[in-house]
Amino acid sequence: MYKDLFAEVFLAKPIPTDNYKLDELFNFTTEDLLDGIESSNVVMSYNKVFEKPYFTNLKYLKNIGLPNPKDEQFNFANLHKLYNIEHTPRIHRNAMHEEFSWVAEKNNELVLVDGTILASNNLHGSNPSLRILDTVIGNTSKQKEYVKYIKQTTNFTNATYAFSPFVNVMIFPTGSKEAYHKNPLVVNYLNNSSIGSLNANTTIFDIQHNVSAKLKEKVRTTAGQMNYSIYILREGSKLEIDRTTKDAGGWSLFDSVFICHPNSELKIKSTNTGSQYTQENLYIHSSSSNKVEVIGRNNIHKGNDYHQFIHQISNDVDNYSNIDVKNVGNEYANTSFIGRYDVGALSTNFDGVMNNQNLMLSKNTKMHTRPILDIKTKEIQCQHGCTVSNIDEKQKYYLQSRGVDNINEILVESFLC
Amino acid sequence: MLKLENFSITDIFSNVDITFEQGKTYVVMGANGVGKSTLLHGIMGRPDLDISGAVEFNGTDLTELETDERAKLGIFVGFQTPTSIPGLSNFQFIKQANKIKAVDLKENLDKFRDISTQLGLPAEWDKRNLNTDASGGEKKKNELIQLLMLDSKLAMLDEPDSGLDVDGIKSLTEKLSNWKNENNTLIVVTHYEKLIDGLNPDAVVLLKKDGVQIGDKSLADKIFSSGFENV
Repeated sequence: MYKDLFAEVFLAKPIPTDNYKLDELFNFTTEDLLDGIESSNVVMSYNKVFEKPYFTNLKYLKNIGLPNPKDEQFNFANLHKLYNIEHTPRIHRNAMHEEFSWVAEKNNELVLVDGTILASNNLHGSNPSLRILDTVIGNTSKQKEYVKYIKQTTNFTNATYAFSPFVNVMIFPTGSKEAYHKNPLVVNYLNNSSIGSLNANTTIFDIQHNVSAKLKEKVRTTAGQMNYSIYILREGSKLEIDRTTKDAGGWSLFDSVFICHPNSELKIKSTNTGSQYTQENLYIHSSSSNKVEVIGRNNIHKGNDYHQFIHQISNDVDNYSNIDVKNVGNEYANTSFIGRYDVGALSTNFDGVMNNQNLMLSKNTKMHTRPILDIKTKEIQCQHGCTVSNIDEKQKYYLQSRGVDNINEILVESFLC
Repeated sequence: MLKLENFSITDIFSNVDITFEQGKTYVVMGANGVGKSTLLHGIMGRPDLDISGAVEFNGTDLTELETDERAKLGIFVGFQTPTSIPGLSNFQFIKQANKIKAVDLKENLDKFRDISTQLGLPAEWDKRNLNTDASGGEKKKNELIQLLMLDSKLAMLDEPDSGLDVDGIKSLTEKLSNWKNENNTLIVVTHYEKLIDGLNPDAVVLLKKDGVQIGDKSLADKIFSSGFENV
């Protein structure tokens, strides 16, 4: 089905800015698709229900085009690598339940695979701490309330949403307080076993008022995977995300959108090994008195790609942000970091620090870094520091002089510490 | 025994012939810029130095050996300005250098903590980042800890006294005297009279651009009274 999705013809197509047809796509995917989904037996006819919309959405994508390599967030990315990735038709969805049945015996754990959500047994039923709205099983009216959070933009979220318009929603109700902070919710983003198939997930996490929650996200892509996750941090809430992405032979596009209500706190810790192509985008929308911390520690393996775009928009007062990303590039690795602060005229007392440090382990490594600070007010504190360096010869000699063997390993570990 | 023959480092000094014998203590002196530190790092095999001549340690030709291979033979160099490595703790560094196994971890950690306490270093010194956010004196004490924790046969210390306070100098002298025995060799670059007195060296080596002058402790006394050019 997706064999030609990333063919050059899509990527090369210019994106018309005045006639993007996003509204049409939006209406189509958010309303029409959900009509008629009322009973739980829809799971059995999952493919049939969505087969036609898939094809229609693909046609839309062909019209609007995929992200342009010249777009800011893809400036240094090797998008051309996607040209050559082929995708065979996906397997029947019912098979997923069998393949990922292991999650049932776990505790506080979810599997997200191609829009299907599978949960451990303790999360089923009337759980006061977590409410799961599964599009396929039901809750369509509630779903529509959430779908309005999905914004149409020029990045890959359009494509992800088109492939996975059945949005799954995880709600952490106010009553859950700190239940999922002490015992984090583990979210596995996986592929099914169909070799070469593309899987997509659109997911919303709603952290309600005054809740403190922690997510342990594990991304393992054995084939193509596109994730579009929206995190709503209601007033006074705290969300901590511990995301690990490991190369499992596939490629990954992960768009995360954070909607931060007043007095909410967001902390993201991520580690990544890269893959044949990995793009991780964080879009952070701050209101007021938000505290945002993004810590990235990425050791990009030999020959892998890792591209990150972090964009924080602040249009209100008293926001704090600390973006601290360190990348290590092994031989033939290709990485890019683009960080952007957009601080509006009314966003006084914005306090932001953006750091990106890169360590190149080989002359065959390519690493790019670009900080962008668009500040429209004077009453702020904002600084950035972006560096690309090689192994420090003095440090290397110091370790050698004490008889240490595994010098690169130690210096990488200490750099990422 | 460490033997240097026609040992030269391009643009620094040439034709150094000297034998440092096992069981003895040496003090190396010399004018600023003559290459005292470079001599020690040349023996250690610092990769950026252009070295010629012969260097042999306990019968092993060091010429073709890498720095880490020399270290594994028991050669230790104490840096004048120890290198900072943020993210690597002081004890982790020792653990890596000594390849300490899990079963021996506690014993080694206790030893590390004992020494650091004796040297007046702050609590939890073992967890602090290597030579990061430390004073000059603390870094020098850290070098001393490394010497005492590693199984070294030849210690070459580059101005170990610099940055140390009065108590620190006293501790340094005591620790080095205790470390010294008939099976190892101590070479110290210093111009600090009290340290020289405390170490009571077997020989004083005056390094010059074109070789060395060797004498007993009275050579140091002459240097202190007359200066380098008049000895």
